[in-house]
Amino acid sequence: MNGQNQENLKELFEQFFAPEQAASAVEDVRKAEQILRENPAPEPDELLIADIKWQIEEMLAVRKPAWTFRTVAYRVAVAAAIIVVAAISIQLLKKGPEKSKIENVSMIPRKIWETNDISTADTDLALLTAEIRQVEDEFLTLELGERRGNGERIVGELEMQFIAISSNFWEG
Amino acid sequence: MRTDFRHNSCNKPILDAVFIRSEKPSIMAKSDDLEQIIVGCKKGDSRCLTQIVDMYASRCYAYFYRLTGDRTVSDDLLSELFVKLTEKFSSYKGGSFEGWLFRIASNIFHDYLRGKHRRTKLLDARKTQLELEITEPRRSDTEGIDKLQVQLVRLDADTKELIMLRFYSQLSFKEIAEIRSEPIGTTLSKLHRGLKRLRELME
Repeated sequence: MNGQNQENLKELFEQFFAPEQAASAVEDVRKAEQILRENPAPEPDELLIADIKWQIEEMLAVRKPAWTFRTVAYRVAVAAAIIVVAAISIQLLKKGPEKSKIENVSMIPRKIWETNDISTADTDLALLTAEIRQVEDEFLTLELGERRGNGERIVGELEMQFIAISSNFWEG
Repeated sequence: MRTDFRHNSCNKPILDAVFIRSEKPSIMAKSDDLEQIIVGCKKGDSRCLTQIVDMYASRCYAYFYRLTGDRTVSDDLLSELFVKLTEKFSSYKGGSFEGWLFRIASNIFHDYLRGKHRRTKLLDARKTQLELEITEPRRSDTEGIDKLQVQLVRLDADTKELIMLRFYSQLSFKEIAEIRSEPIGTTLSKLHRGLKRLRELME
């Protein structure tokens, strides 16, 4: 406790006043306090003190059931929370992790990944391969045909075929 | 007096803790005893709280009486103080108990001043009027009032409160400055001027 008994008035006043003023101030304080001691204030009535004590007893008597109720309510709330958390944990442990309803599928046909012979593994690719071969043959014919003088017709046919292949390819 | 701490400290007779009026009011409960009583109070032990009443009622009553000059008002304020103390004991976080107690007492006194102010509707010259209304003894009562109380009326309310706080709370200047939220130099200066004036009035 940091009461005035531990206080050094002289040192304290010297922090704010000149030494002579501080000494005088300390003297003033001591004398004034002496006057206050010599003129005591009246004492509180004994009945008043008894009444205050009765009020305190009454307040505490009223408050105690509230404390008990609060304590019980608090404990019940904590217990209920523990039970709920435990129940939820058990439910979760029983179920295990849920399977995802979304399946990831490759856009590339599985057969392509499983064989090196792409053209035989997929029908569309087989058709495409066949058409490419046909175009190659026709290019060869075109080369030969040019020499024979009917190249323009064959070029037109080839263009038509390319367009058809292209549109088939993108349509899948 | 030997103390047996195996029992509840609040059962202990408090003869050594009673404020002896003829002496300086620093003779109070030993700090260990007070700490044990405070622990009991925080637990809601009525015996400890009544011990606090026995220990501090005289000082607090004197504080209120010197500020109001009215025994009936002082009775009410003292009751209010201990009722508030009982309600708020759980909020006491340690430190100077007297500082905490007299801070509540000071707040109660200021609440009383504000209430008095509202009732009397003294909107003008508030401070001066309050001093006169509250502290000036009624003529019919002056016979029972000591010389000090008569002279205290001549001091301004703030200085008077500071002097009473210093004398009855037994707090250090530092603690008083904290309660009043002002620099310690201001507190020292005000108190010195006030006590000097009171000394002149009483001589």
